[in-house]
Order: sequence, then structure tokens, then C-alpha cells
Amino acid sequence: MLDAIKVSKSTKSAAIALTVASALGFATLAAPAKAASPVTISVVLAAPPLPAPMLAEFTKATGITVKWTQLDWDSLQTKIAAAATANTFFADATDVDWSRVGQLGKLNWFLPMEKYVDTKALAADMPQLGSFSKNGHVVGIPYDASFMVTTVNKALFAKAGITKMPTTIDEYTADLKAVKAKGVVQYPLNIPFAAAEGLSTYWYETTGAFGGHILDANGKPLFTDPASAGYKAAAWMVNAVKTGLVPPGNINVADSQGQQTLMAKGKVASTFSDYSGNVGSLYEVPASSSVVGQVKYIPTPGLKGTAANLGNPDGIGIPAKAKNPEAAAKFISWFTDGKNMADFAGASGTARTWVGYFFPSRLSGIAILNKKGSIIGGDVLASMLKTSAAVFPQGAPAWYPEFSGAVYSNLHAAAAGTKTVDAAIKAIGAVATKLSSGK
Amino acid sequence: MQPRKSGFRRFGVGFILSWSLIPIYWVINTSFQTDAQISDTPSHLFPPTPTLANYKALLIGDGELQHMVRRSTINIFIECISATFITVTLASLAAYAFARMEFKGRKFFLFMVVMTMAFPTYTTLIPMYKIMAMVHLVNTYLGIILCYVSGFLPLATWILFSYMQSLPAAIEEAGSVDGASRMQVFRLIVLPLAMPAIASTAVITFLFAWAQFIFPLVLASDESTQPLTVIVAAIQGRHVVPYSLLSTAGVIALSVPAVIALLTNRFIVSGLINGSVK
Repeated sequence: MLDAIKVSKSTKSAAIALTVASALGFATLAAPAKAASPVTISVVLAAPPLPAPMLAEFTKATGITVKWTQLDWDSLQTKIAAAATANTFFADATDVDWSRVGQLGKLNWFLPMEKYVDTKALAADMPQLGSFSKNGHVVGIPYDASFMVTTVNKALFAKAGITKMPTTIDEYTADLKAVKAKGVVQYPLNIPFAAAEGLSTYWYETTGAFGGHILDANGKPLFTDPASAGYKAAAWMVNAVKTGLVPPGNINVADSQGQQTLMAKGKVASTFSDYSGNVGSLYEVPASSSVVGQVKYIPTPGLKGTAANLGNPDGIGIPAKAKNPEAAAKFISWFTDGKNMADFAGASGTARTWVGYFFPSRLSGIAILNKKGSIIGGDVLASMLKTSAAVFPQGAPAWYPEFSGAVYSNLHAAAAGTKTVDAAIKAIGAVATKLSSGK
Repeated sequence: MQPRKSGFRRFGVGFILSWSLIPIYWVINTSFQTDAQISDTPSHLFPPTPTLANYKALLIGDGELQHMVRRSTINIFIECISATFITVTLASLAAYAFARMEFKGRKFFLFMVVMTMAFPTYTTLIPMYKIMAMVHLVNTYLGIILCYVSGFLPLATWILFSYMQSLPAAIEEAGSVDGASRMQVFRLIVLPLAMPAIASTAVITFLFAWAQFIFPLVLASDESTQPLTVIVAAIQGRHVVPYSLLSTAGVIALSVPAVIALLTNRFIVSGLINGSVK
């Protein structure tokens, strides 16, 4: 019987030979070992490469060549976590998002920047640097001073007879109701209620406007009392969709989608928590906007006057397994130089403008931009940046990603009507309490 | 009762087709529109002024984006074709051994191979990454290909095992009686007979490899090895999402497996039901 035939030596040898030959054959496909140039660094960010002339200048000045890789933000976070968990090199410099500082700092996945850069000297010129510190170490250096701002389509407000911009939440709400009542637009307010990070940050900003914070110094929730700012902010947001101020379809609209398809098209009149820089990079761009010249930043309406703008800046740091930390630090110093950041934002023409870049994280960079008049709403943004505050004054907790997931899924459910605001807030509070207790 | 049954069937088929194809149609529709058009209300069921601008923006020119798309297209072909070839080669040998040879622990090893299909991808991601880093295969074609092979080999082996088991042993015995060695029997008799199953296994493996995202995301550090699936995701901006460009990249990434699936669906179906009926 054939079944009974034992495996012969020749069969075994042939099988092994074939397997090895295949492997060897394909070994030639392996990328050649990277030329061991000590001055080539790998930079991985969720952004397209810097303008080639600027990178060339950096290389000429320092002898360091930058190999730039672009990934989308979510994939990049996966990659950072995978590489750190596997204790493996993947980049010399990469993204440090404000919301991950606690996690990255606790796990020591990044090298302390104060060892490589004079962070104390930077602090005065870089208001958001504090958001990147954890346990006495600076995890990353902010390079794009993204913070949350209120944008208003003044033309639509004017059609409703509103020429004086609101300075308090009550005035703001009344104005939105007037815009709706006069039929200027059916739904005047953009709130992205899709279960995504943008909904969480919107709530943080609104909570700040109502005069409060999300968590205390120990990470305990400050929003569970109905009289608290966080509770009122959630109720205000959910009430806005229930009273027809927010388009019902926004239940499934994410932040950038709402900005691009509603605000930039004049279908809504205001976004309470918009991205700083969106006026220049989106609403003033004719190819993507039908409201050119109409949308302006206004000081964030608060409970009794202007509220602080909460920051959600992007930073850059050096992973613990970086091959060239010194060279990476030189790059980061150059990358976060005030003049260079001003150039990224368009101070010296399109050849030196970095696509998708919003706003320098250094006041000196903004001063250059303002002097040249090359940033729309620059003076307003500069004053907002000076007073911008961290979402979590003690730094984002290490368990932030899980907390944020609870925030957006529960607020989404409340807006969709499957939960009451009270139940949603209780659920978020329970998650925060549990996580902060280390359970 | 027959017409009623037929009506239900048609409705069911129509529903499933709509469920699957409408999103794909919408992506194709979006890829031929401008950014301004895709946010019009009501949405356009057909491109109002069809444009190839998005395709040109991705494929033509010497910019960084075009270079990335072209390079990643080459990468994905190299990785998928290589992984398919190695997987099918090794799976054929393994399936033949499991189907025809008698050795200690045969059933146990077959069970172990099949069992690995039950492991969620994420559980092997970090160990695989560590192993590849240890042997300096991170960011190499070989590293990515070997990961694909390890992932697809169990299913390929199972499909071919099922098929080879169903082949009449008498033909192979006749070959042995005529003096053919075991490898000659395998090469000259079994492989030609198993060609339909090998073809279907190759198609299935290629399609699986093409759809990979998380492994190449982690194992490829830069554009020298990143496949198209990773680059498509990378086009997404941090604050502003270029929907029309993203849709176009999606159509490009979808086109190759779609064409292959349309041309070879007969093989795919036969491969998946191989050995299910004896």
C-alpha cells in the first residue's frame, strides 16, 4: 500500500532542499542592509515630508540626512506601540501626541528630551511645552500648536442680524437659535457626534468654556455632579442636537468631516470647537470651501466671558530604541526652530511651505508670520496661544486612550438617544474612577 | 410555491449584492468627482462632470505622493507573488505528506497546522516582529513574505490536503510499480492532477496577501517595502481628509484583486469546497 510507504531520505532531502532554495532565492529580495551612515535618521510622522529644499538645507548644515516616512495617525500609534512592546527600533524621531504623553511617559517608550534639548530655555517661547511633561521628563517637543478654537461664519450670522459676536455661552446659544429661527440655515451648529476622538476633544473644550476641568490631579472625574462644568457641557451639546441646532446626521459625522462638508460649505454657521488653523488651511481655500472670506476665529465664549482655548498639539520625540538619538535631537531642534516653523506655515513662500501644517508652537514663529502678514487670523491665534491651556493640567493620564473611548462612545449614545445624558456621564465617570484607581 | 421561493431567492441575492457592491460603487463614484462635488447636497449618484484628476494626481508626475504610490504598487506585487509562490510550494509538499505518507505523529501535526488558523492575527504580531528584528528582517521583503507564508500556509495546506486525499491512490501506486521514486510520483503524477486545487489555493493566497495591512504596517518601516494598502491609509491627513484622493487610492488598490476575483472565481469556489464531498 502506498499509504504504508515510509518517508524516504531522498524525499526528505528534496523537500528540505526546495524549502531552503525558495528561502534563499527570495533572500535576494530582502532590502539591502542600510548603508551604515551614522548620520541618516528615520523620521516617521503622520504628515507628508517637509519641503525638499528645507530638508536639503538641514542636511547641508548638519551632515544629517533625513529619511521621512508618512503614515496615517492611527496606524502610527499602532506602530509606536508595536515597536516599543517588541523593544525594537523603527524610527529615530516620531509623533508624540498630547493625548499619549501620560502613556508614553509612564512606559518610558521615549527618551527624555531634556537630556538633548534645553527645554527650560524653550518653555517661555513654547506655551504648550508643559503638556508634554510627565514625571519630571519632557516626552516630546510640540511642533504644531493645534488648539481648539471657536469659528463663526460671520456672513451667516449677519444675515440673521447678528453683527456683535457672542462673548458668553448664553449669547452664543441665543445667536445660534436666532440664525435657525430666521431660516438662514436649518442647522447652525456643527458638533461631530461620531464615536471618535474629535467628540471627546469637543467636550473637553466645551467643559473648559463652562469653567471647569475634566479630571482632578489624581485623575478622578470632576464632571459627575449635575452642577459641574463637564455635566453642563455634555447636556448643552446633547440638547443642541435635540433642539435642532445641530444637523441630525451629525450623529455619524467625525470632526474633520464636519469641518470639510458642513462648515466649509456654509451649511452650518459655527463650530464651537474647531481646529486652530482651519480658517487659513480650509475655509479660505477656494478648492475646498464655498465660504471664502466668511469664517473667522472668535474668542471662545465662556460662562461669564472669554474662555481659555484648550490645546491638542502635535509633538515629536525620540523613541527609546532610536539608533541615532543625538542626530534626532539635532533634527528636532531644527524642526522646532521658530523661523523654520514660520516657513512651514508659509512665511517664505510656497517652496518652503509644509502641506497640512497649521501653526508654529513657538511665539517667535508666530511673530515672524504676523510681521509678514502671512497667516490668516494670526494676531487672534497668537493671543489665543499665549493663554491656551492644557486639557489635563497635570498631563494626560496613562490610561487616556481608554478614557477617551468611554467619553466618545457614551456621548455618542446620548446624542443618538439610546442613553440619557445622566447615564452617559455616570458611565464615563465610572470608567475614570476605575482607571484612576488602577483597577 | 416555486415562484414564491424564487422571488425570495432573488430578493436575497439582490440584497446581498447591494449590501456588498453599493459601498464599492460609492468609492468609485467619489474617485471621479472633485472635493467640491463630493460634499454637495444632495450627493451625486453619478459624477456630474467625471474627472480623472484624482487618478492623475496619484499616478502621474514626479511628486513624493506619486512616487510612494508607484513604489508601493511594485512592493505589493513582489510581496504577494512571492508569498503565494512559497506558500503553494510548501503547502503542496506538506499536503502530500499528510495525505499519503505514513509517519509518526502525522495526525497530530496536521491538527497542529490546522489549529494555528484559529489564532487571532494580533496575538502573533509582536512575537513575529521580535523574531524578525532578531534576524534583521524588519523592513525587508523577505521578512514580510515569511510572515505572510506563516499566516497562509495552514489554510493552503488544508485545501490541498483535502484535494489530494480525494485523488485515487491507484494512479500513484501504478507509478511506483513502474519504478518512479516518491518525488517523481509527486512531481509527475500528483502535481498535474492537483493543478485545479493548486490554482485555487494560489488565487486565495494572493488575495489574502493583497488585503494585508497590520503586518506590513508593523514590519515595513519605509516606502522601500510598504505595500499599497499601507500607503493608501497614509494618504489620510491628520486634520483634513482628502476624501476623493483617498477613494481613488482605494479604487487602485481594489482593482487588482477585483479583476483576479472576477476572472478566477470558479477556482476560488472550487478551492474552498475541495474535499468537502467525497
